[in-house]
Amino acid sequence: MSRILVVDDEAGIRKVVRDGLERAGHEVETAADGQEALSFLEEKVFDLVVTDLTMPRKGGLELVREIRRVSAVPILVLTVRHEEREKVRLLDAGADDYVTKPFGVEELLARVRALLRRRDPGHAPPAQLSWANVVVDLEARTVEKAGKPVHLTPTEFALLAKLTEKPGAVWTHRQLLAAVWGTTAGVTNDTLRVHMGSLRRKLEDDPNRPRFVRTEPWVGYRFIPEE
Amino acid sequence: MIEGLRARQVGYPAAVFLVLATIGILKLFPGLADSSVALLLLLSVFLSAWIWESGPGALAAVVATLGFNFFFIPPVHTFTVEDPRNVVALGVFLISGLLIGRLSATGRERLRLVEAERSDLAHLTRLSQAFLSDTNRESLLGVAASRLQDALGAVHVSIFLADGTGQLSRATATSDESVRHDLAELAYRQGNSAAFPSERGGTDIYLPIPVGVQRAGVLVARGLRSSERMAEGCAVLLGLALERERFLRMARAAEETKTSDQMKSTLLAALAHDLKTPVTAARGAIENWAAEAGPSEKSRLALEQVQALTRRIGELMEVVKLDSGIARPQREIVGAAEIVEAAVARFGEALGNHSLFVDAGPTSALVEVDPGQITEALGHGLENAAAYSPPGAEIRISVAAAGDSVFLRVADRGGGVPAADREHAFERFVRLPPAQSVPGTGLGLSIARSLVEMNGGSLKLSEAPGGGALFEIRLLRAGEAGQTPSSMPLPGDFSRP
Repeated sequence: MSRILVVDDEAGIRKVVRDGLERAGHEVETAADGQEALSFLEEKVFDLVVTDLTMPRKGGLELVREIRRVSAVPILVLTVRHEEREKVRLLDAGADDYVTKPFGVEELLARVRALLRRRDPGHAPPAQLSWANVVVDLEARTVEKAGKPVHLTPTEFALLAKLTEKPGAVWTHRQLLAAVWGTTAGVTNDTLRVHMGSLRRKLEDDPNRPRFVRTEPWVGYRFIPEE
Repeated sequence: MIEGLRARQVGYPAAVFLVLATIGILKLFPGLADSSVALLLLLSVFLSAWIWESGPGALAAVVATLGFNFFFIPPVHTFTVEDPRNVVALGVFLISGLLIGRLSATGRERLRLVEAERSDLAHLTRLSQAFLSDTNRESLLGVAASRLQDALGAVHVSIFLADGTGQLSRATATSDESVRHDLAELAYRQGNSAAFPSERGGTDIYLPIPVGVQRAGVLVARGLRSSERMAEGCAVLLGLALERERFLRMARAAEETKTSDQMKSTLLAALAHDLKTPVTAARGAIENWAAEAGPSEKSRLALEQVQALTRRIGELMEVVKLDSGIARPQREIVGAAEIVEAAVARFGEALGNHSLFVDAGPTSALVEVDPGQITEALGHGLENAAAYSPPGAEIRISVAAAGDSVFLRVADRGGGVPAADREHAFERFVRLPPAQSVPGTGLGLSIARSLVEMNGGSLKLSEAPGGGALFEIRLLRAGEAGQTPSSMPLPGDFSRP
């Protein structure tokens, strides 16, 4: 069970998100704006913050920045519409993930599960990862799919290691380029796309409909170990 | 005073009078030597030439020579000269007088020109300062005519300006004095100035007002006292002031448009928020209810309807955005294959029942578009393909470059669109017969075409190779194809596919 803070100025959304999270067995507190959320955060320790983007008084982006100054608590943002620049700004400010309104509760719960998983106490980065029929050994740098070894190039392996570092979280193009190539100069998003494509061909059952290495259009990529 | 005396009409008698007066004064001192008399007479010639310039100066020299002979050279009071040496002296006196007169007059004329130019310059400077401090057309024109009248020393000044259609009309004038419209028209059409002596004294001048290589209108000055060059300078200055005022006006208009666009954007964002919030809450409530009570046919239907409502709201918001003119593309250079990947990631879920094939090919073609808008357009193509082809049928999305074009295509295995209906399908709210059984608003294709055309591309429907409909976006290729990812200096193994 985790303690989750839900911040939204709309009572309807607060209620729906609270019901969904409580159904999943979490303890939920709600706040109507960023200001109220900050005073909650001063009093109690939370495992996750779910916040709306547009709110009177203190908005979502500002709230993310202020939380990040003092805490590493995972933050999930509820946005409206596909405003890529806004999303990149949120992620760069320190948000871990976002869902776009109108979202489904199941979708929200899946994101919450992924973000909470790496907050589990004693959840040191494991040397071994596995999902579906794939097994990855980060120390030995080996990958198996359906029991057969898969050869990854150093770049592909570095991308996979980076993506799996924070399951469920979105990595922006810039964050990935900086982490894997050490620079964003001279490397384009298209380069990233080509490497992600070959990584998918090696690890996904249907590379045309990737389930684990997901594209966040015009923002970046995320790794989802579910299903 | 001096100005009046200097006028040509009084110059000649005044010069004669000055010389005769000098002679009269010299006659009062009979003891004076001839050489002193000669020098003093030359002084009078010099003064005459200085004050009244060359013509009166020359006359003064001749009168002084004759007077010197008549009153001072023996035998006095006759024009006869006894001593032959005096003939030579008299000749030298005349030549000296003429030369001194000429030099003095030239010096004086040059000085006058320099002074006139300096005063013109001062006028132009004052005029430009006045023009630069005016930021509004009405106030600029309101005072321009009288300022120009002062600067040009004219009796009357009119400013004619051309409107958008090239029609010339009098914008402002210092008085309602009549001017010749035919000459103004001619100066405007041909760009040549016309100047002629005025019945009001001075010159009447018709000058085109230059703006770059074009003309803004015509400056008319009657009874001009200053030089034509000064008038031309004023016309250039007026052109610059008008041009500056026009640019300021454009900048203000752009600023206003920007503010109004920002306001519209804010309003639309608020509207989107207000529409989507209750829909999100409704959807969540149904999902929570279904999870607690167990899934049922009722909850499935409710969820389906909420999702349909969500899509309709999305489409309507897009249409409002397009119609309000704030959906300006923010173009950047992106890989065409990236757009395909983005569209599949965002809209792929909606194609659940179809088998999707992505053929991004080996192309690294770049396009300069608003990536979000083209992704959206391609998404409408995918939704269309899914709606109008049987479940389970293949949908193929591909990207290809040919020449200077990049093609993004969605091909389905549905019934296709008859050639006669293909253009019709892009009209708003139009739903073709085979599609009428599928829920939808008939906005998708129209939105897609607007988005593509806004980004300099084109969108059409045709027949896919296997029957079915082919949705094809054609974009202009950007940049150099040499920028393939494999040519990047990157670590790792890139030779493998």
